[in-house]
Amino acid sequence: MSLPLPELRDDTQPQYERFIDAYLSSELRLVNSGLPQRRRSLSELLNEAQPQIPCTDGSQQMVKRSELEYLSSLLDAPDRESLMLPILIEMTGDQSGAIVLCPGSAEQKIVSSVVGMHLVCERPGRLRIYKPQLSLLRRKLKTTTQYIFSTRSSD
Amino acid sequence: MAQLIKVRPTKIELVKLKRRLGLSSRVQKIMKDRLSILTMEFLQAARDTVSAKKKALGAMTEAYKAMTIASGYHGYVALQKELVASEADISVTAGPRNVAGVRIPSLEFNEPSGGLRGYDLAQTSSLVDSASDTAREALRAIIELAELQRGLELLGAEINRTKRITNALEYIIIPNLQATIRFLKMKFEERDREEKARLKRVKVLLARKET
Repeated sequence: MSLPLPELRDDTQPQYERFIDAYLSSELRLVNSGLPQRRRSLSELLNEAQPQIPCTDGSQQMVKRSELEYLSSLLDAPDRESLMLPILIEMTGDQSGAIVLCPGSAEQKIVSSVVGMHLVCERPGRLRIYKPQLSLLRRKLKTTTQYIFSTRSSD
Repeated sequence: MAQLIKVRPTKIELVKLKRRLGLSSRVQKIMKDRLSILTMEFLQAARDTVSAKKKALGAMTEAYKAMTIASGYHGYVALQKELVASEADISVTAGPRNVAGVRIPSLEFNEPSGGLRGYDLAQTSSLVDSASDTAREALRAIIELAELQRGLELLGAEINRTKRITNALEYIIIPNLQATIRFLKMKFEERDREEKARLKRVKVLLARKET
């Protein structure tokens, strides 16, 4: 005795499914299309007339001079050399907040100054911020921060 | 109600479906994150647009008021004669910025270098200076407003699209895949049970034949 076969959808199934797969894969590519190909230091960008950062999709992301000057006002000379832009904000899918990737202390100083409270990395190089703080950070640093979407766990 | 996807009931198809379910779940997670980010950016942009609009309207009112006072003081013709020489192209740096996969134009008003106004400072009063300053402020506010408003439109359209994808994944694609995987698993279990029953029956028949 075998199970009665339920009514199956009658359409061009394999083609449709292939399309869905391709579409979903392209969506994954799209969300991370604006990632920087190469990060550049703050002092390097400050010396340029029209500061730009090359992206992985071949485009150039414009960086506002006013934001660079604001960042420069928050840091001293060695930190200006070490701060690499854009600052990357990783979204890990837990909906509550985000992780700011801080390879150096300059990023931590910037985020702490912008959100107005001293923040400490919960793990080396990873600074957790919550939605209201993220909103504040993005409001002040629109072109010098960038989102990364990943599905790896934040823990 | 979830519909079954038309596939051959084989183990290979089951593996494929599981892989597809994994991809869909991953995309759903990212899309949900993206949707929350886009919504946050949209709300921020909406708030900024409202304040930028107020600021632009205020700056325009101030600029017209200052210009009216200046033209009243100097006379319209004399003021026009002075200002013809001060005409200059404005410089705006434009480029895209990427917000979670949405390319939004970014505009920045470049302050004119040198600080020269173009008209004769000796022949004009401070009223013209004030009118010039307020007009520049209005221009800056308009550029800011243009950037925000375009960003708002693009973010709104992208939110709609992302919401549709998230809903499709949540209510159609993932439930269909789960239902099909469940059905295939049941089918394989059923096949195993049939196989076992058949073997038992054959064993009984062979045993009966031997006796």
